[in-house]
Amino acid sequence: MVEDILGLIKQNVIQGRANREDEGLEEGMEGQPGVTELTEEAIAQGISAEDIINKGLTAGMVIVGEKFEAKEYYIPDMLASAEGVGAAMAILEPHLNKSGIKPKGKIIMATVRGDLHDIGKNIVSILLRGAGYTVNDLGNDLDTQTIVNAVREERPQFLGLSALLTSTMRHMGDVIDALKESGLRDSVKVIIGGAPVSQEFAMSIGADGYGSDGFDAVRVVESLTSPDNKQE
Amino acid sequence: MLVIGENINASNKSVGQAISSKDREFLENLAKAQSAAGADYIDVNAGVGHGSWEHAEATMQWLVEVVQAVTDKPLAIDSDVPSVVEAALRIYRGNSLMINSVSAEPEKLESIGRLAAERQAMLIALAMGTGGIPNNVEDRLAACELIMNHLIPLNIKEEQMFFDPLVLPIAVDTTQALVTLKTIQQIKLRYPSAKTVMGLSNISYGLPQRAMVNRAFLLMAAYAGLDAVILNPLDAKMMSFVKIADMLTGKDPSCRGYIRAHRKGILVD
Repeated sequence: MVEDILGLIKQNVIQGRANREDEGLEEGMEGQPGVTELTEEAIAQGISAEDIINKGLTAGMVIVGEKFEAKEYYIPDMLASAEGVGAAMAILEPHLNKSGIKPKGKIIMATVRGDLHDIGKNIVSILLRGAGYTVNDLGNDLDTQTIVNAVREERPQFLGLSALLTSTMRHMGDVIDALKESGLRDSVKVIIGGAPVSQEFAMSIGADGYGSDGFDAVRVVESLTSPDNKQE
Repeated sequence: MLVIGENINASNKSVGQAISSKDREFLENLAKAQSAAGADYIDVNAGVGHGSWEHAEATMQWLVEVVQAVTDKPLAIDSDVPSVVEAALRIYRGNSLMINSVSAEPEKLESIGRLAAERQAMLIALAMGTGGIPNNVEDRLAACELIMNHLIPLNIKEEQMFFDPLVLPIAVDTTQALVTLKTIQQIKLRYPSAKTVMGLSNISYGLPQRAMVNRAFLLMAAYAGLDAVILNPLDAKMMSFVKIADMLTGKDPSCRGYIRAHRKGILVD
């Protein structure tokens, strides 16, 4: 029974069905409970929030990620799944606090100065939330100092920087330099991404990681998450 | 429909490489091919990537010179950095000229606006301010208004303006095609002497079979009042749809442009 409902959550994440009204990726599923209804039911059955996240939501998102990499899924498919997971996480949040489970980590996301592109950054934020991280999205066109101040005040484990223009990507380097000057560089792992960005560029400006797309970004963040924050 | 050829753009990897290695022939061929394919303007974007950043002005001047040596088509100087635009204009020798682009960002609007006024250049203005692309019609129109309020005192005429209503991917927000189309309609109502322009490909970002979506969107935008389009003129199917768009919106008297294209064998289904 327990396995059943977690399996259903996983299947509905893969179908991108947040709720009962959604027809789903493969159509004709209207009326059946979606991810949010199933999550509420699982809580009522006494299943732990941890199991719901790991065996239901995350297990589903892993498959979605694979399908997206294989170009079987497109951005709208991926977003529908991630939004379902996000809605379920909101339902689970009070239960997570109650059970004393530590969140996996806090991430500040920002598009750097002069750059107004935020679609990519928003997608990465949605996927990171879906992976169980607490994300504070600062927005776009952010001054280096604004980003550094946020790091100082919020002490996140990660800082995700985005730039979509060849003219603005250098500001990601400025942020890293400013973090060094403020003595904050060692307190935070800096992950960068955006169309003109590469692994090579990430290394050249001294970033800790580079994500080539949303799922890659999650993988990189996971691999850099310190073991004491990782959920079993 | 005015066609602005988009191919000479440093953010396109092979072009970026050609620019940084000064591969003149590659760029000349790209200019000639676009001109032959029916582009009315050739866009030139020299990029400002790290490394070449210190020389952005010189790089742009070199690129303008290369392109002008092989085509008489007017250029669209593609940069939002005032010093780069100014450098390009210093050596530009065509009569007609377009600057791509400004937004409702007062400082750049002021300096690029002055350059456009001096040279009587056409000016592409993005319907956005400093906070990113608004996701609704009202805020995009507010940006256009702010832009006009800044430019009129500089003696820029409505006739010089090409407003870009902006396009956000339909894959991320399914209301966005209509937001763009309604913005075009509203701009045409408010600024009847101004033109509208946009790039099409953003609409299909993240979707399969994008070219088909782009072509369909061109027809819808033409109906909404789009006057100019930034695209790859070497895409024969898309160029066929440009001809069709003109014909279906009554801009092709006696359907001559369409039939002429057919006789030349350049219409592709």
